[in-house]
Amino acid sequence: MVLLTFRLKVKNAETGATVEMELDGDNSVDEMIESAATFWNKDMGAYVLRKGKKVLRGGSTLKDAGVMAEDVLELIPDPEGG
Amino acid sequence: MPGAVDQDTFDRSRRVGWLNLDAIFRTRVLMIGAGALGNEVGKCLALSGFRRVTVVDMDHVVGSNLNRCLFFTQEDARTGSKKAEVVARGIMDISPDARARAVVGRLEDLPGSFYDGFDIVLGCLDNIAARIHANSHAYHAGRPYIDGGMEGFIGRVMACLPPDGPCVQCGMNRSHAKVANMRFSCTGEGVVFHEPRLAAEITTTSIVSAVMVRECLKIASGRKDMTLRNTFYYDGQRNVAEEMEVPLDPRCPNHPPQVLQVSENHIMSGSVQ
Repeated sequence: MVLLTFRLKVKNAETGATVEMELDGDNSVDEMIESAATFWNKDMGAYVLRKGKKVLRGGSTLKDAGVMAEDVLELIPDPEGG
Repeated sequence: MPGAVDQDTFDRSRRVGWLNLDAIFRTRVLMIGAGALGNEVGKCLALSGFRRVTVVDMDHVVGSNLNRCLFFTQEDARTGSKKAEVVARGIMDISPDARARAVVGRLEDLPGSFYDGFDIVLGCLDNIAARIHANSHAYHAGRPYIDGGMEGFIGRVMACLPPDGPCVQCGMNRSHAKVANMRFSCTGEGVVFHEPRLAAEITTTSIVSAVMVRECLKIASGRKDMTLRNTFYYDGQRNVAEEMEVPLDPRCPNHPPQVLQVSENHIMSGSVQ
C-alpha cells in the first residue's frame, strides 16, 4: 500500500508560531494534536485542531477530515474551566 | 415623576420584539455549577426575567473565589457557605419574583429523570468529565444544553439542540479523554487531579455567561432559528470572537446510528443501544 506523504503547517493560536509537519493521509487528527502539543511543550489540557472555521474530529484521519497539502491548521486550547 | 413605563422592570426587554417574556418567566432552567460562571449566569438569568432556576453544586465558597463571583462574600468564605445556596439566594435578591432552588450535591448523584423537570440546561462546569455527564443526560432527555468553558482570556460557548446537530462530546478528542481520565485515575488511595491551565478571569466570565444566557433567551422565546448552532469562541488577548463549526461525530455515543446494517440484504431501523 502506498501512503501519500504531504506537508502542512500548524499554527499555535496562543503564540502565533507555526511548525511545518510531514504526515500521511492515514495519520489521525488526534496524533497531530499530540505531536503539535508536544512540540510546543503545551501544558496538559484539551486542545482542538481547526481548519478554517471547522473543528476537526479527533478520531478521523487527515484524509477523511479533508486535510490537504499546504493547508494551515490551527491548534487552539479548548477551555475547561467554569 | 416616573411614568408607568418607568415602573415596569421589564419595559426595556419588552421593546425587543422577538423576546417572549411570558415564556421566559415560565421557563424552567437547570444551572449546573455555581462557580465563577454560575455566578455571572445567575445574575444574567435573574435580570433577563428567568424566574424558575435550579442551581446544582456540591462545593463551598473559599476566599480565592471572591475576585470573580458576584454573589459570594467574605462571610461566605469564612463560614464555608454552599455555593448553590448562595447563588440561588442571590438570584432571588435581584429578582423578587424568582423562585430559585439550590441542590447541594454531586451532579453524578442526580437521577437521570431529574433533567425531565427542566426546559433548558446550562453547564457552568469546571471539568470535562462533568461536562460529558451533563451533556449526555440533557441530550437524552431532549433538553437544550448550553455549555460554557473558559480559561484566562479564552472562552467558549456551545449550544446543543437535541435531537438535531452535534453535542459537546462531538467536539472532544483524545486530549479531552486524557484530562478527564486524570481526574478519575483513582487507584485506591491516590487520586490524580488535573488543574485547568489558567483560572477563570472575570471579564472573560462576563462575556461567556452573557452569550450563554442570550442563547437561553432565544430558546425560551421559541427562536431556535436564531440560536447558535456551532461554537462561539472568544479570545480576549487577540480580540477575536468568532463562530466555529463542530461537526456531528457519528461515533459519539450520544448519536447512535439510526440505521443498522445487519447484512447486505437486511436493513434494520432504530437506535442501537
